[in-house]
Amino acid sequence: MRNLIAFLLRYQGVMLFVLLEVVSLFLFVTNSTYQRAAFFNSSNAYLGVVLARRKEISDYFRLTDLNKQLLTENARLRQQLFPPDFAHREADSLPVGRDTLGHVIYRHLRPLGAVPGVGLLAQNAKPKPAAPRPDTLLLGGARLAAQDVAYPLVPARVINNSLRSVDNYLTLNVGAADGIEPGLGVLSAAGIVGRVKAVSAHYATVTSVLHSKSAVAAKIKRDGTFGSVKWPGDDFSHMLLDYIPRQNRLVRGDTVVTSGYNAVFPEGVFIGTVESFVKEPDKNFWTVTLRLGTDFSRLTYVYVVHNRPRAERDSLEASVVAPEPPTPKLVVPKHPPR
Amino acid sequence: MSVVGMLVRQLLRYGLYAGAYILLISQLSLFDRGWCFFYLGFLLFLPLGTPVAVQLLLGFAMGLTMDITYDTGGLHAAAAVLLAYLRPWVLRLLTPRDGYDAQDSVNVHQMGWQWFMVYLLLLVGLHHLAYFLLELGSFRHFGLTLTRILASIAFTSVAMLIVQLLFFPVRRGRG
Repeated sequence: MRNLIAFLLRYQGVMLFVLLEVVSLFLFVTNSTYQRAAFFNSSNAYLGVVLARRKEISDYFRLTDLNKQLLTENARLRQQLFPPDFAHREADSLPVGRDTLGHVIYRHLRPLGAVPGVGLLAQNAKPKPAAPRPDTLLLGGARLAAQDVAYPLVPARVINNSLRSVDNYLTLNVGAADGIEPGLGVLSAAGIVGRVKAVSAHYATVTSVLHSKSAVAAKIKRDGTFGSVKWPGDDFSHMLLDYIPRQNRLVRGDTVVTSGYNAVFPEGVFIGTVESFVKEPDKNFWTVTLRLGTDFSRLTYVYVVHNRPRAERDSLEASVVAPEPPTPKLVVPKHPPR
Repeated sequence: MSVVGMLVRQLLRYGLYAGAYILLISQLSLFDRGWCFFYLGFLLFLPLGTPVAVQLLLGFAMGLTMDITYDTGGLHAAAAVLLAYLRPWVLRLLTPRDGYDAQDSVNVHQMGWQWFMVYLLLLVGLHHLAYFLLELGSFRHFGLTLTRILASIAFTSVAMLIVQLLFFPVRRGRG
């Protein structure tokens, strides 16, 4: 016994070292699996407050930059709001619009918004609001419902952001109290951002798409070729598009959007544009480099998006695919690339 | 110095190094390639006689703080524990001819430039090597990682040197 204690004391340093290293590496390895929520993360209540405060202070020094960002976004939104003055003009010889009863609509005879075929009574009973609030929001080129009660689109503020590690994460100032749950997608006005990894009451940790194990199901908008977007780990403004067959023709500047194959992002959200592509001799697919739409270095406001059929679709896909042996036919994969 | 005074002093140092790193210094980068691992100052400048076990636990605690802040799981902790384990070895390697005095501490004014630079570069280099290779998990972008390691070593070492020159006593005595 005495020998044992002496032994333990003699080698306490080595043993403690090994123990602590094993614990750290265990935490590290379990953390870097993309889907699993880590035990410790920055969305806990105390650290969230510290990070939010830090952001407040550092924001003060880049108010100009933030204003500029918001101004450009406002300008773009206003542009959509005020259509050019010939937008409602009707062509004189081309087919004109018809209402539900088959009558030709003469818009110039009626003020915009008056309902054809409905009497004064109905109009009085249901007065229209003066300025209708927008019911969709244009995020990364895709229209998403902004005011759906069941599936809210939650605006959030990035309070912590890393972009130069191999695995990058963000922290947002929204949490379970705002209806955020792990697994939801995160978008910015310019494109995809990531996927919620863990939430606390008021903060959420997001796995950025700049992560060594991220994979986003994508398609080329021009011809609809499906692929998968990955991050090679070196540059936060570029990603790789995989699985585009070699016989396909590619064009520089092609738009790549999400395909909606994985239930995280809705379909048609902008990812980036094709910047370069090479044919490598040992591969069946093009190696395509994308320029990301989202500028992660100045990411400030993002939106957490609910993809509505998700739970239903996941369970359906699981029930369809589970009992069968894996077949090579072309179906929506059971574990779609994330 | 009493034990309680010692504990309070080390706790304050812990808070200062971690706070400065999280609030300010982690946002700086050198050419987008190098970062300043400022919190390592807490481990590097611990008293010379600190028991190995205590050093290891402090390294783990400091590393885990950073891991929780930056969502890296156990990456900072693994590298910091390695640093804490290697520190006594490096100190033994660098023992002066007549051994360490009771009043000696890791201080550039007391131990001399040569001693200090070897100590600093050796430990910081090993830490960064472990950190970045562990983060990479493979040897894919080895050139990029190597430039990251070198730039970070330069940045961290210069920062540690500045801390030494600004805040550490020139004359021996306070320890």
